[in-house]
Amino acid sequence: MNTIYYLIQNMLPVAISLLLVALGGMFSETGGIINIALEGIMLFGAYFAALFVYFVQDSGLNPQTILLLGMVVAAIAGLVYSLLLAFAAINMKADQVITGTSLNMMIPAAILLFSKMFFFSDGITTKINFYIRKVPILGDIPVIGNMFFQRTYLTVVIGFAILIIVTLVFYKTKFGLRLRACGEHPHAADSVGINVQRMRYAGTMISGVLGGIGGFFYSVGIMDGNVNGHTGVAGFGFLALAVMIFGQWRPGRILLGALFFAFLRTLAYSVSLIPFLYNLGINQTYYRMMPYLATMVVLAFTSKKSRAPKAEGIPYDKSSR
Amino acid sequence: MENYVIEMLNITKEFPGIIANDNITLKLRRGEIHALLGENGAGKSTLMSVLFGMYRPEKGEIRKNGEVVNIGNPNDANDLGIGMVHQHFQLVEIFTILENIILGVEPNKYGFIEKQEARKKVIELSEKYGLKVDPDAYIEDITVGMQQRVEILKMLYRENEILIFDEPTAVLTPQEIKELLQIMRGFANEGKSILFITHKLNEIMEVADRCTVLRKGKYIGTVDVKDTTKEELSKMMVGRDISFHVQKDEGKSGDVILSVKNLTVPSKTHKNNAVRNVSFDIRAGEIVCLAGIDGNGQTEMVNAITGLERSSFGTICLKGEDITRAPIRKRSMEGMSHIPEDRHKHGLVLNYKLEENLVLQRYWQPEFQNKGFIKFKKVREYAESLIDKFDIRSGQGPLTPARSMSGGNQQKAIIAREIDKEHELLVAVQPTRGLDVGAIEYVHKQLVESRDSGKAVFLVSLELDEVINVPDRILVIYEGEIVGELDPKKTTPEELGLYMSGAKRDMIKEINDAG
Amino acid sequence: MQDNNGIDKKNRFNFKSITKSGGFTSLSSALMAIFLGLVFGFFVMLFASPPNALAGLRYIIFGGFNRIGNVFYFATPILMTGLSVGFAFKMGLFNIGASGQYTMGLFFALYAGFMWDLPPGIHWFAAILAGMVGGMLWGIIPGLFKAFLNVNEVITSIMFNYIGMYLVDMMIQGSSIMYTADKTRTKYLPQSAQIPSLGIPNSNVNLGIIFAIIIGIFLYIVLEKTIFGYELKATGYNKHAAEYAGMKGKTNIILTMLIAGGLSGLGGAFFMLSPSGIVGSSMTYEPINIIAANGFTGIAVALLGSSHPIGTIFSAVFISHIQRGGTLASLVGYKPEIIDLVIAVIIYFSAFAMIMNTALGKIVESRLGEKEAKEIEINDDVKEAE
Repeated sequence: MNTIYYLIQNMLPVAISLLLVALGGMFSETGGIINIALEGIMLFGAYFAALFVYFVQDSGLNPQTILLLGMVVAAIAGLVYSLLLAFAAINMKADQVITGTSLNMMIPAAILLFSKMFFFSDGITTKINFYIRKVPILGDIPVIGNMFFQRTYLTVVIGFAILIIVTLVFYKTKFGLRLRACGEHPHAADSVGINVQRMRYAGTMISGVLGGIGGFFYSVGIMDGNVNGHTGVAGFGFLALAVMIFGQWRPGRILLGALFFAFLRTLAYSVSLIPFLYNLGINQTYYRMMPYLATMVVLAFTSKKSRAPKAEGIPYDKSSR
Repeated sequence: MENYVIEMLNITKEFPGIIANDNITLKLRRGEIHALLGENGAGKSTLMSVLFGMYRPEKGEIRKNGEVVNIGNPNDANDLGIGMVHQHFQLVEIFTILENIILGVEPNKYGFIEKQEARKKVIELSEKYGLKVDPDAYIEDITVGMQQRVEILKMLYRENEILIFDEPTAVLTPQEIKELLQIMRGFANEGKSILFITHKLNEIMEVADRCTVLRKGKYIGTVDVKDTTKEELSKMMVGRDISFHVQKDEGKSGDVILSVKNLTVPSKTHKNNAVRNVSFDIRAGEIVCLAGIDGNGQTEMVNAITGLERSSFGTICLKGEDITRAPIRKRSMEGMSHIPEDRHKHGLVLNYKLEENLVLQRYWQPEFQNKGFIKFKKVREYAESLIDKFDIRSGQGPLTPARSMSGGNQQKAIIAREIDKEHELLVAVQPTRGLDVGAIEYVHKQLVESRDSGKAVFLVSLELDEVINVPDRILVIYEGEIVGELDPKKTTPEELGLYMSGAKRDMIKEINDAG
Repeated sequence: MQDNNGIDKKNRFNFKSITKSGGFTSLSSALMAIFLGLVFGFFVMLFASPPNALAGLRYIIFGGFNRIGNVFYFATPILMTGLSVGFAFKMGLFNIGASGQYTMGLFFALYAGFMWDLPPGIHWFAAILAGMVGGMLWGIIPGLFKAFLNVNEVITSIMFNYIGMYLVDMMIQGSSIMYTADKTRTKYLPQSAQIPSLGIPNSNVNLGIIFAIIIGIFLYIVLEKTIFGYELKATGYNKHAAEYAGMKGKTNIILTMLIAGGLSGLGGAFFMLSPSGIVGSSMTYEPINIIAANGFTGIAVALLGSSHPIGTIFSAVFISHIQRGGTLASLVGYKPEIIDLVIAVIIYFSAFAMIMNTALGKIVESRLGEKEAKEIEINDDVKEAE
């Protein structure tokens, strides 16, 4: 039982990071913009948040307050960075995949450059502890308390709250309806007076916000609040895209996908703690490859009937109808 | 002074290289149905897009009730009470009917959509005007006719007073057309003003009060429909008398070239079969036309015959050889030529030069390659000979990028390529779509010549004039089944319409069963 | 009068063919992207350390000229990955997996270098071929996924970049013949497995660059002169038309990815099998779980070269040139990562520099076009009158 609690407690912060970034990808793509730059956006958000944490960690503020403020910083940073994608894709009608790739390459280089020059290291190391050993009262609930309210991070709760908000916005508001129309049939949206470019900007910016937060949560939940230009976010931005495809651009299924991938990853990194797996004597590297291999298996089965937004990746051109 | 609800005065709209609207004036009276007549490319749709705020004109002004208005986007148009049913429906397939109707004008509280309120209004409207729809059905699951009702409901929901219908009858059955015209009449009687874009003279004579004619982007004139005739309108539209008749002699049919037996093709969009158990033969020296309303399985049938799609049942034989499962290249080598429905999607590589496109079906033949290397000199010579023979006009001859050629000449290039290639069967799918009258005549002439040289021609067409004038035999397809075989010399458009709309299917079946 | 018209037309076509030709627009858009990238790099340096910015920029732009040999030496692997990405682009595929294919090729070459016992004249060549096979193996996977399962090649490539990297690092670390644990890098390859040096002083430049350039020219011939190239480009421009014309789309996708993978694999082999400055030593690889940067640099190389094999040769040399300059910029306090940043910015701008160019071209063209249209009309009228 303790192993299961351990796995769930470790899995949730990973899942939340994937979830938020995948939801970000969903907003961007249902608006019609392929956001392959999520990896870079995550790292950008995480870096600025870590920078913020680095400067306030000695101020005596409550760690959870710092986490919330850091989240805001990460969101803003992610938003700003996503504007580069939006500008290229929407105004300049550039190839979205190439643009995204360049944005992914830019950030690790920039982090290494600045960290080496100003911190004499490959990234930023913070010393604040965001870890919550046990939430008062809630942590004492049997089973559920063990799973969700012990040895956890504030990020988990925030993540689920964001999921609920995002789902409501996506399905119940006029913004959500209009955004989805822009990714599916932009001419139809235009013909009823919806500003396609503005909606696409909005979708991309939301993906920037969620990507930035997701990146910060990754560094909090997985890297102890540190950010490193070499390892970056270890392909989480790309995994999130896979989660999004697995989730067929729907929030509920994206949650399932995020949990599934997070579970695999947690398992891979916990092999030494699970006697059964450890005794098999398989090289741990194989477990590390699991999430990526699982992605391929899943995509192989889901891609044939994919329901990707019809107009994604295609720049909107009023005259071509 | 007359009272006009909308006046478009001296509108000029240019696109790079062409003037789509050149100083056009259009005045719409309250409560009238005003037809806007012109050939493809005459500038009708552009003019309406200007009125609807999708394009900004370079010159001219628009007035509503005598006051100058500025229409910068569809929202402005909507605020002025102008609504439009677009030629290509502007509906989001994965949304429900209700969501499509309210999109852009969603009733909401703090941004959250209030669906119940909207649903009530939509149901009221659909009952009042007899436009029956299920608000919660998804667009992708409903028929084209139903989709058009949704488009009309969109305008009514927005309480528009000026309704633009952009070629609304192109995709409908004759019966649906009749219904639509009645609905339009009802709107006009209610005081709404209607702009009706079409190139079908019968519909204008039946329903319109006045008609404005455009030709090649220029204003030709406005006439009262009751004081004019079809012939006069036709003359205004094309600028000369058109010969509706295609010059051809009696055909001499020979051996069976294409034989289709019990062909069944699944649909990609719905669960039913798109083509159901269809059998027919085509012989050398005859043109057989597959007639029907768009979306009744023609595309799937052609795709199965040409190899672009797989059939689920039945056989296709070319010159007695079973090609049901043969790859496209094999069919081509066995003597099948294919003028595709969508010349930009399938027919041409737009980024390639004309000469490269002219060998698209033949580049691999020994004539044009040696051990995998292309013989460029041969390609050039061949291209020049085709350009000469088929009168393909372009800026730089064989070196012209296909993209920069006019639609008519692109089509000529495809026809040249497919007809000059060694073939026994020519499959021509809507070969005249989007072409002007001159080019249409040219295409028809080529089809007839091909027939006269002993080829089998399988023509797929949506245009009644073409269906009646070009072929030797007509097969009518309705909901994936052949519902009738007609002799074009004996049939009438009315009879064809009955078959195409499925009204006469049962009788045919009975006769077949009895025989 | 007709003669006059004819001359007039010819003149105009000449002018048009200059502005319209692929070479002109792609060169000018590449130059624009490079210029913007360098300007950005300059501002970054200005921000990081104002007094040295000018000196830093000078090093980046001119520094490489002092190390021509090394410029070509480091151009070799990125030329190969650039050719790989560019070749796939021609088919309409985005081979972001060049990194994984490169790493695989590197490993196969390394393995052949250590484990195979072959005569000196043959060993290094066999190792190169082994590298190519390794790359092909990793390249064909996204091709198969795309052709048979409809999985986007971008996602497959990215996932297999990670899988390949983990796999290679694990296998290298697991072999005491190839790996020296205390230095956390691969051992020096036997002399027989090293590609012969060209013997330029102070430089490791070797036969690899010659091979790479020959391969580039070979690809040019394949793309422009053969029916395979004709099919490949047709599929890239319009896959529906290619299918309609009976081209085997799936086979071509797999074949293209196989070749692209092989090219990247060769890049890895050329990198791995290079001699190093110290006598008897060779290049080494550190298995530290990082995706190979040379694969991504290949994207920049291909974009700058407009995917044209010959253009790619020049762009690889250019990128290598500013990379060398970037390492020199550390003399005035800037880290070499500044160049990675500049390269990323160049990719960013080259993704839409083409658009800016076509927009510019269109304005010029439409003016000419109108005139032409009128003239054609007049000519037609004359014909009809006749």
